[in-house]
Amino acid sequence: MAGKEKRPIIETRKLYKVYSLGENRVFALNGVDLSIREGEFCSIVGTSGSGKSTLLNMLAGLEKPTKGEIVIGGSHIEKMTENQLVKFRRENVGFIFQSFNLLGTLNSVENVALPLTFRGVKKEIRNKKAEEMLKLVGLSKQMKNKPTQMSGGQQQRVGVARALVMDPKIIFADEPTGNLDSHTSAEVMELMRRVVKEQHKTLVMVTHDNHLAGFADRIFHIIDGKIVKIEERENYREE
Amino acid sequence: MKFFDLLSMSVSNLWRRKLRTFLTVLGVVIGTASIVVMVSIGIGMNRSMMQQIDEYGGLTTINVYSGDSYYGGGMAVAVSESGSSSGSQTEPVRLNDEMLQVLSGLEHVESVTPILSVDCLAKSGKYMANLSVRGIPAELLAQMNNMEVGQGTLPMPGDKELKFFYGNTVITDFYIEKTYQYYWETGVIPEIDFMEDPMYIIFDMDAYYASQYPSGDGTVTPPPKKYMVEACGVMAGDVEYYGANSSYVFCDLELLKEQLQRVFKNKAIPGQPTTATGKPYKEIYYNQVDVKVDDMDYMKDVQTQIQNLGLSASSNAEWIESQQESSNNLQMALGGIGAVSLFVAAIGIANTMMMSIYERTKEIGIIKVLGCDMRNIRSMFLMEAGFIGFVGGTVGILLSYGISFLVNYVASGQMGMAMGTGGAAEISYIPLWMPPVAIGFAILVGMLAGFFPALRAMKLSPLAAIRNE
Repeated sequence: MAGKEKRPIIETRKLYKVYSLGENRVFALNGVDLSIREGEFCSIVGTSGSGKSTLLNMLAGLEKPTKGEIVIGGSHIEKMTENQLVKFRRENVGFIFQSFNLLGTLNSVENVALPLTFRGVKKEIRNKKAEEMLKLVGLSKQMKNKPTQMSGGQQQRVGVARALVMDPKIIFADEPTGNLDSHTSAEVMELMRRVVKEQHKTLVMVTHDNHLAGFADRIFHIIDGKIVKIEERENYREE
Repeated sequence: MKFFDLLSMSVSNLWRRKLRTFLTVLGVVIGTASIVVMVSIGIGMNRSMMQQIDEYGGLTTINVYSGDSYYGGGMAVAVSESGSSSGSQTEPVRLNDEMLQVLSGLEHVESVTPILSVDCLAKSGKYMANLSVRGIPAELLAQMNNMEVGQGTLPMPGDKELKFFYGNTVITDFYIEKTYQYYWETGVIPEIDFMEDPMYIIFDMDAYYASQYPSGDGTVTPPPKKYMVEACGVMAGDVEYYGANSSYVFCDLELLKEQLQRVFKNKAIPGQPTTATGKPYKEIYYNQVDVKVDDMDYMKDVQTQIQNLGLSASSNAEWIESQQESSNNLQMALGGIGAVSLFVAAIGIANTMMMSIYERTKEIGIIKVLGCDMRNIRSMFLMEAGFIGFVGGTVGILLSYGISFLVNYVASGQMGMAMGTGGAAEISYIPLWMPPVAIGFAILVGMLAGFFPALRAMKLSPLAAIRNE
């Protein structure tokens, strides 16, 4: 088992992203090499403008790199068409957003079941699965609530359940606690950590908060589009 | 994604913005209703025109006359070629029983009706009239259009005696013998009961006038014999109703032939052709043959074939054609007016869909990130637009039925007063194929209007969703 967990599930090689702003060329990513192992909880931490979000978008196939390779589970996603990318995301990737991004017209169960709807799963089955996931994140009482009837923390739990419901290999989280107070943030972080460990998922989280980054197994520091430091959790110290 | 999930998602999106959806649908309702009502008026007018044509002799009847007739563009063909019995080389082709066989043998000919027309004088009490008598085989009389029996019966096959069936306006042909006063002068319908009063018929009109007004040389002509002819029936309708057959008197063809041969013996029957020396032919020729064609589309064909036989032929076909063309033009113009409002509605749909996409940019991005197929997104928006079309079309059709009913109700009231005949014609008529076609069309228009917005939605970047505002 241990050997299997060492296998990299996400690898990037010499990843560049260049934006042209008039005459100037801005390097959002400046040759990123990284390797994330299966079943690992990684956080990518950096200040605003460091390129961390760009990196995450690229790993998720939402943005194309200017140059370089991204290999996820053995396939080169930088070569995929948009249709292939949608299919890839649908089958392999779960998302947790900063602003939760729940659909306001749907209740918790429907929101969690939404990705399954896109897969063409029958209503009874997908609702049952969604309810299971909601129980897992501790929302058995808010099944029928609309997003506006819940607190931020509860909404993000729905978001976590939605990311998990498709049983993806990888979950990407972009500042998942950015809209929550520090107490709730810690709760949600604990939840995420517990759930990904239980379900053997790979979680990649982007944050600017050094404290939150400390919940991860490994912490990648990114500055000006370059990974400058990789720390193990045991050795991590907040600065 | 399952079709039902797509549909319920689309509908719930529309339901979220009830007022805007309602207004957009309203545009389609008005557009559909205006097209349907306009077209229905065109169709209704066309139908009442057809009905009218039908009353004046049918859509599929060709009237055939002998080749020397002035009717229609028949050409004189040498008789020897056409197989007629008689001698001279320049004789026109005439209508006898032999020719009847030829005509009924033509393709697409359903039936042939020979008509022998004779003018005669009728006397009843103080009244007199000039009658146009048409001899038609009794068994064919029953199948003719515009031959509704009001009183008595039609002449029956197997009758032994000549009996007359009077058209409903024939009564107005009678005048008071002494004063020459007609119905159209006095406004009084002559007091004749065809069924009861004895009617005396004079077939030899020349002899009658000769006896009435002796010529200068003093020869006295004895008045011709009068024959009493019984009536078997009278056509339905009052004297103001002008049908195609209203002004004729009908009787059985064979009995009329026998009667004429009895009356005129060896003399020439008036109206019949004679030889160059003024002698009558052995057989009696028909004045007219009505050829019924099985389908309107073959009218021209059959007419040409008949003309090639050397006969004259005329029909309503050309007139109907020009009438149809002008009514088609009218329909197109009316439909065009309706189309403009549907076009405006389509712009409304496109606008609504565009707005909806701007509003839902984030949502579209989210579902894209969550793995919704691009095709599904496009289908979802197309369905929304199509659904607006569907609801608008359906309500529009219902509204059209209402408007159509109202138009007919109002119009029938006015026409009833103007014509005094109840005004059977419908101004607006919605045929059964119209509702499905109109709804289908409305859906199509909706989807076309929604097509570019849908493409736009499909191509939206998923990044828009996770960009934090």
